[in-house]
Amino acid sequence: MLRFLARRSLGALVIILLISAITFFLFFALPSEPALMSCGKNCTPDALAVINKNLGLDQPVPVQYWHYMTGIFAGRDLTVGHCPAPCFGYSFSNQQPVWGTIVDRYPTTLSLALGGAFVFLIVGVGFGMIAAARRGTVVDKLFSSLSLIGNSLQIYFVGVIALGLFVSGGLRILDEPGYHPFTENPGKWFMGMLLPWLVLSIIFVANYTRMTRSQMIEQLGEEHVRTARAKGLSRRAVFFRYAWRGALAPIVTIFGIDLGSLFGGAMITEFTFNLHGLGRLAVSSVTETDLPTLMAVMLVGCTAIVVANIIVDAAYAFIDPRVRLA
Amino acid sequence: MTTVTQPGAAGPAPDAGAGPDDAFLSVRDLYVRFGTEDGVVKAVDGLSFDLARGRTLGIVGESGSGKSVTNLTVLGLHDPRNTEVKGEILLDGQELTGAGERALERLRGNKMAMIFQDSLTALSPYYTVGRQIAEPFRKHTGASRRDARLRAIEMLEKVGIPNASLRVDDYPHQFSGGMRQRAMIAMALVCDPELLIADEPTTALDVTVQAQILDLIKDLQQQTGSAIILITHDLGVVANTADDLLVMYAGRVIERGTVREVLRAPQHPYTWGLLGSMPRLASNVAEPLTPIPGAPPSLLAPPPGCPFHPRCGFSGDVPGDRCRTERPELPAGRGAACHLTAEQKRTTFTEQIKPRLG
Amino acid sequence: MTSSHQNRARLAAVALAAGALVLTACSGGGGGGGDGKESGPATDKNKSSNFTIGTEADSKGPAPAVPGAKKGGAVTVLQRDAFNHLDPGQIYYSDMLTAQMLYNRSLTAYKVEPSGKAKVVGDLATGPGTASDGGKTWTFKLKDGLKFQDGSPITSKDVRWGIERLYADFETDGPMYIPQWLSGDGTSFRKALPDGPYKGDHLPASVLDTPDDKTVILHFRKPHADTPFATAMPNIGAVKAAKDTQRKYDNAPFSSGPYQVADFKVGKSLTLVKNPNWDPATDPIRHQYADRFDVSFGHQLQDQTRRILAQQGADKNAMSFSNAVDPGMTQNVLNDAGTKARRFVEIQPYVDYISFNMTRLKDVKVRKALAYAMPNGQILQQNGGTTAGTIATNYLSPAMDGYQATDPYGKKAHPAGDTEKAQALLKEAGKIGQEIVYAYRNTDVEQKVAVVVTQALQKAGFTVQKKEVDANTWRTAISQVDNKFDIYRTSWGADWPVPSTVVPPLFDGRQIADGSQNYGHLDNPKVNSEIDRINAITDIKQAAPQWMKLADKILTEDVPGIPTFYNRQFSLWGSGLGGIKYQPVYGTVDPTSVYVK
Repeated sequence: MLRFLARRSLGALVIILLISAITFFLFFALPSEPALMSCGKNCTPDALAVINKNLGLDQPVPVQYWHYMTGIFAGRDLTVGHCPAPCFGYSFSNQQPVWGTIVDRYPTTLSLALGGAFVFLIVGVGFGMIAAARRGTVVDKLFSSLSLIGNSLQIYFVGVIALGLFVSGGLRILDEPGYHPFTENPGKWFMGMLLPWLVLSIIFVANYTRMTRSQMIEQLGEEHVRTARAKGLSRRAVFFRYAWRGALAPIVTIFGIDLGSLFGGAMITEFTFNLHGLGRLAVSSVTETDLPTLMAVMLVGCTAIVVANIIVDAAYAFIDPRVRLA
Repeated sequence: MTTVTQPGAAGPAPDAGAGPDDAFLSVRDLYVRFGTEDGVVKAVDGLSFDLARGRTLGIVGESGSGKSVTNLTVLGLHDPRNTEVKGEILLDGQELTGAGERALERLRGNKMAMIFQDSLTALSPYYTVGRQIAEPFRKHTGASRRDARLRAIEMLEKVGIPNASLRVDDYPHQFSGGMRQRAMIAMALVCDPELLIADEPTTALDVTVQAQILDLIKDLQQQTGSAIILITHDLGVVANTADDLLVMYAGRVIERGTVREVLRAPQHPYTWGLLGSMPRLASNVAEPLTPIPGAPPSLLAPPPGCPFHPRCGFSGDVPGDRCRTERPELPAGRGAACHLTAEQKRTTFTEQIKPRLG
Repeated sequence: MTSSHQNRARLAAVALAAGALVLTACSGGGGGGGDGKESGPATDKNKSSNFTIGTEADSKGPAPAVPGAKKGGAVTVLQRDAFNHLDPGQIYYSDMLTAQMLYNRSLTAYKVEPSGKAKVVGDLATGPGTASDGGKTWTFKLKDGLKFQDGSPITSKDVRWGIERLYADFETDGPMYIPQWLSGDGTSFRKALPDGPYKGDHLPASVLDTPDDKTVILHFRKPHADTPFATAMPNIGAVKAAKDTQRKYDNAPFSSGPYQVADFKVGKSLTLVKNPNWDPATDPIRHQYADRFDVSFGHQLQDQTRRILAQQGADKNAMSFSNAVDPGMTQNVLNDAGTKARRFVEIQPYVDYISFNMTRLKDVKVRKALAYAMPNGQILQQNGGTTAGTIATNYLSPAMDGYQATDPYGKKAHPAGDTEKAQALLKEAGKIGQEIVYAYRNTDVEQKVAVVVTQALQKAGFTVQKKEVDANTWRTAISQVDNKFDIYRTSWGADWPVPSTVVPPLFDGRQIADGSQNYGHLDNPKVNSEIDRINAITDIKQAAPQWMKLADKILTEDVPGIPTFYNRQFSLWGSGLGGIKYQPVYGTVDPTSVYVK
């Protein structure tokens, strides 16, 4: 198990390095001039040269990459002053240490993604189980059609409607969504994130309902489930202890695959609800040709997804002894 | 109606002869039908038999003959939403066909238990062998977790698992096929069931292990005196294990008798075919098996008359169109559902079939 | 301002596309209000005649009380783009220019009356400055009782520090008029004080003199009549040396105004609270009515408009410094009678042009034909209609001093372009079928504009070759002198309402270089010498009509481009706010007298 985790981590590290290098070099391969962002109105070539020197853009690209990557672990001395580790450089667009911005933003995205995942796992898996337990009944058909509708919805569409309905329009039962640190006021945190969670989870709920339903039905037809019934276990015990346990593994696997789109969904949700998270930062760093921020978001985001994937793999091993003890 | 007509005909059964009154399990005119998208499947079509404590009943037939369905119905494991069950099943005097789910749950794994064919798929991969054995024990006796675990170890020892106290915490995939089958037997027997249904318990195993498992079942029966239904497609399996025998075809019994009677003097052409397709240790390996030609009939639209007639090589011996039009009745007691006369049956078997069996 | 302003607008457009906010993108153009005629809600108060240079009396505090104003409450400010600077030395964009009014004071500043009239008055200084030595030397006296947020007095040393720190190499984003006038053009001024004041060096008294604690004397290399406007830029103010954290000053500037920075989260929010040491008696412009300003960033126009329109909870007290009503929601706002008292549409000092690349289009008749053919009305329609602007007829905005409503190409009469005149000119030149390479950004609005421009030019007899350019590289692409395009959209906003901030940067041939604003590449020695002549006139009131004349001469004789529309600002705020007025120089909402009802 430990060896498996070590191997996975090593592989992940290689992937992250590769992606970071591609991002970095691609940035320079594309025609863009970050210095223009800081050059004011009467921009002249010599003014640009001054800014390029300030930003460290006057050095060869591989040297810049080397400095950037080593700076993360060792810190760097920039024209601005010392940048202690973990140093992700200074933003091209606002000359602030990128790490500070990342630290400021990641709780929003983390809250959003974890909360959204919590909602869609609970609701989606719950609906799927109910539908499977009531297979063929009105309840099942209702959930199936709801899931079909949910599947065709988009975050920005649902988000705008939800805002109009619950916040500024007819019902007005919720406050303007926003991020309030959990540590300061858990109640406010919850209320501020509620709508974003629900909207983010909508597109996933449908998938997880359908998947859970079909997995449960498949599991209920498995021989070991029949064996459990033959042992005299109640329907309920068989349903939860045997069938659900069997359905859990594929659900967890899909969840691992979905982590990437969860981050993507969180990004769109951040835009829809005006939340300041890493997704929004990623987009703005692209449009502002802000390489240090782009790199930082990319590295942090990749690392988070990779770590989450390793956790999912570990969870999979925990769920299925055949994987654990193989 | 008496299934066992000759006391002590096979095996050391202490209980000689079981009539409807003293039968432990009694099945009467059982009909099982499934609704499918294509139509109604008549899986079991008017089945009756009796079984006494301490006796072993073999049920033989090809897949789709209704033998497994019969036994799932006895346990009440059919899907009630698409299955129609008619007739009666009496277990120790208790009516099962109309019994509630709760009542059945109390019986399953307790008074009646089942051993399944493929222990790899029939055991859950997610729980330890010990837990799966202990589970019905806790459920039915209310034993503590500890006691149930000790019971599981005891059962594993009983079915011959070495180092049972260590292996109890293993998962099914860590067991070999034979050991897994032993574990499943341990699981079925953990509550000392009075009726044990073994559905192809040895099919997935190699020949030497098969013999061990069958011996084990027999040994355990001697200790507990339970009634056993042994389902198989292999006459060789029942030969040494069962007392009485039902041969099923297309949801019906087509031949009935003690094991000795049926194996010595089979009366139905289908049984002849089964014997022909049975490998023998003593036989010449070079001689090919002779499988029954054709495929089992569709249960959606079984052939009219004798359901076996499309595959039967002897329907020409029956005058007229009887095989095609008239359904042969199964006589009470020893006998076969076939239009051939008793004489035809005897001579055909002794003159044409037996020599080929070697 | 505008080039930067446009830059930011363009970034937001890309952000939208990247964020896949299809809904917003759909409403990004077209929509608009009205048909481009008189039905528009505009009541442009912003006129050149409104601008004057104030007196010492005008410069005295306190600012006249706003009738009905109350103290207390919090103002919610919704902004689309995050502020990337708080350091007054780095500020050049209209949104941050507006915000800094609350926490930063400069030598001079604009005093805006509710009527829309704006005066340049002394802010830190007792008046707009006195010129001597033929306009080359400017003297400012500081007021009594000026204090920083810690209660320490503001002296001439602090103003000197504020100016000298602009010479340090990290100060690149702000306007550099004063340092350039003091020490040399371009970036050469930095050589006069390479490390700024941080290593103990200072500018010599012959350049920047502070003979006592109250006096600041600027010795320019040439006369500059519009110095009172240049010193109204936020970077010509006071910075306390002990509090100057250099780059980090961008996060926590030390306040001299009525509010101070309580919290700044990069890219996210800015909280301004009352500065207890600000003395209203010294300030002719600002009030301190509200307890705080809660500024938050990242509100797309649609989101911001929806919230202010709905006025839910704290949004009743919401406004935006610089963001306009979402073009797609213009009608919602106009149709809502309740918004009448809480909105305005005002003309901005920003002008949009189509520049003609004279390096490639050498025949003046072809350029004139282009000028006639350009469908100004349709271009404006694609940009949002009458709430987004009004048809331009010449190079100067109506907000410029000296502006006259000349219309040499008949744009008012022919909003769709004068096809006949254009055709006739092309024929005369023998260039029917002339190929025009038309470059535009790949944004939603620009793509729609491209359609109407192409149609109009083709009708006039041109052959149009469209070249779509990625929005990220647009600015670099068109500012290359040897670019391969014939026409492209450009824009310009004056830093102050005097045409000397328009004509020289756009039309001085000696400025042509990669990255310069002379996008039409006009290099006419006669124009250049005329620019020098008018620049030397020390009375700006006298100079203004001459700039206007020169601008029209360039438009009719050289034709390096055609103006298309003058921008308008359409603002909406919550009904819980009072004291809101238009800031005509920045083209934004003036926050200095805002109060919570």
